[in-house]
Amino acid sequence: MEIGPILRAMTRNKIGAILIALQIAFTMTVVVNAYFMIEERMRLMERPSGVVEDQLFHISTRGFTPDFNGKVSVQDDLALLRQTPGIVDAVAINAIPLSGGGWSMSLQVEPGDGEQGHGVAIYMVDDHGLDTLGVELIAGRDFTPADVRERGPATSDWPDKAIISEATVKALWADANPLEVVGRTAYINDDEPVTIIGVVEKLQAPWNGWTTVEQSMLVPDKLIWTGVRYMVRTEPGRRDEMMPIVEELLARSNNQRIVRAPESMAETRARSYALDSGLAKILGVIMAMLVSITSLGIVGLASFSVRRRTKQIGIRRALGAKKRDILRYFLVENFMITTLGVVLGAVMTVGFNVWLVQALNFPKIDWLYVPIGMLALWLIGIIAVLGPARRATAVPPAVATRTV
Amino acid sequence: MLSMKNVSRIYRTDVVQTHALRNLSLEVEAGEFVALVGPSGSGKTTFLNIAGLLETFDDGSYQLDGRDVAGLNDNDRSRLRNEKIGFIFQSFNLIPELNIADNIDVPLRYRGFAARERKRRVDRVLEVVGLGGRKKHLPSQLSGGQQQRVAIARALAGDPGFLLADEPTGNLDSSTAAGVMELINEIHRNGATIIMVTHDLELAARAERIVRLSDGQVVLLDEGGEGSELENGAAV
Repeated sequence: MEIGPILRAMTRNKIGAILIALQIAFTMTVVVNAYFMIEERMRLMERPSGVVEDQLFHISTRGFTPDFNGKVSVQDDLALLRQTPGIVDAVAINAIPLSGGGWSMSLQVEPGDGEQGHGVAIYMVDDHGLDTLGVELIAGRDFTPADVRERGPATSDWPDKAIISEATVKALWADANPLEVVGRTAYINDDEPVTIIGVVEKLQAPWNGWTTVEQSMLVPDKLIWTGVRYMVRTEPGRRDEMMPIVEELLARSNNQRIVRAPESMAETRARSYALDSGLAKILGVIMAMLVSITSLGIVGLASFSVRRRTKQIGIRRALGAKKRDILRYFLVENFMITTLGVVLGAVMTVGFNVWLVQALNFPKIDWLYVPIGMLALWLIGIIAVLGPARRATAVPPAVATRTV
Repeated sequence: MLSMKNVSRIYRTDVVQTHALRNLSLEVEAGEFVALVGPSGSGKTTFLNIAGLLETFDDGSYQLDGRDVAGLNDNDRSRLRNEKIGFIFQSFNLIPELNIADNIDVPLRYRGFAARERKRRVDRVLEVVGLGGRKKHLPSQLSGGQQQRVAIARALAGDPGFLLADEPTGNLDSSTAAGVMELINEIHRNGATIIMVTHDLELAARAERIVRLSDGQVVLLDEGGEGSELENGAAV
């Protein structure tokens, strides 16, 4: 390998090589951090909500006449929905997972004003709640009709039973398993006792950016309001078909209210993560552009180098270089420039991430991203230089004897 | 050492064919010093390229050191060139970014010599050409004569036994050229076979034999030396 002579030759003609190395370093810094951000976003976006999203949609109504009876309306609507072919179950619910709007309360293991509380999202449902949402009960039992009470706009107290998510169990009783906590008492609103009658494996809160998004609680409250939202679970594969049917059914069944267009949970998820998805796409485009520009830079430098050194290549061929020696020369030269770039890039990548962590509270990058990024940039460098290097091998040795 | 029989080389474009060499036949014995003269366009450079395996020919046969080179692939030609032939170019053809030692080292690396052996050979040939103290100098830091001495050192480093010199003094003043020619003569006296292309009849007269090319063919062979026909300028 001609590492020594190539290095010495480069030090005498170093501006182009340094600029490309800096470009590679900058590209690596941005690309690795951007890729990490995209992965983080993707990881967040791929978190399951705990509900059977592909079978669920939600639809809301609001009575607008003075004599609109919310209680009767909810009873009639639920009866109608639950008997409609194609619908598995339906429930009136105060909030929708991932929707961005809902209630949260503080739950604590000991009563009292000064005790440590843990934020939980509140879902008010009747005894059809678990079946409609499709959440998996891993300990205890579901609500029964006897557990369910009515909750109007003026209700301020809380039911004495609740089903909580496993993440809530961990928050309240760190070392307990779900089976152990069934029957335990937690306190809401500082001192209102709530008996844990069941634990579901997963049920996310409505706010995907919430640090405690996995902490939630279902309470047996049937909503008796003029404005109400129904979560509807359809048979598998029939969600999109049932959405307009349900909208029309509700609109026709009671003309004292307006019915808003239904939204599938897939749409809710897409809306919930629209910003993350958009950011990931923008970062992806920036990454692609940077990699393309850097690749073109390497191609440009190598092509210029081949053109500038056509005579030299001919001399080397005349002195006995085989085509593969010429190919190797340019690959080694480029490898050295790329190595300088990726080593510098590794330092800059970590430095940039440290700044992001300190200044913008970004997550700390996984160290594995750095060697993977180096390897990727190395590969890009080799691929980019292959074309010009192969053109160099086509320079005939007779070029050495040409005087022009 | 070199045996060409009826070698032809034709350069073709879409509209024209140029016969650079026409049925050229030439025998050069091992240890001979042959000067090749002729006007521009006579085929000297094409002959040099073919003799040096820098390009192929269309017809005829060529044996170098007893080996038929017609059927060799590019790799074999490169290896043979590296092992058997040393080139001395008119414009020196040193690689400007490499220092003197690295320049001489180039063909030795392609030969696959170990680092210690390469260093030994570089040091030896630099002493032969009188530039032992200039190893780290760049070509641009040397005079034209010194650069040509480096080129000669590079040609000698692999002990090729067959030197092809293309106007070796063409870019040098007369006093420097004399020094370089003396070096080439010394190399010849030490047993090397040399074919030298030159326009300079005085230099050609120093060869043992003079070959004149015209229109791609050998038109005159002369034994060279004092009193020869070429020395008096009659054949060019």
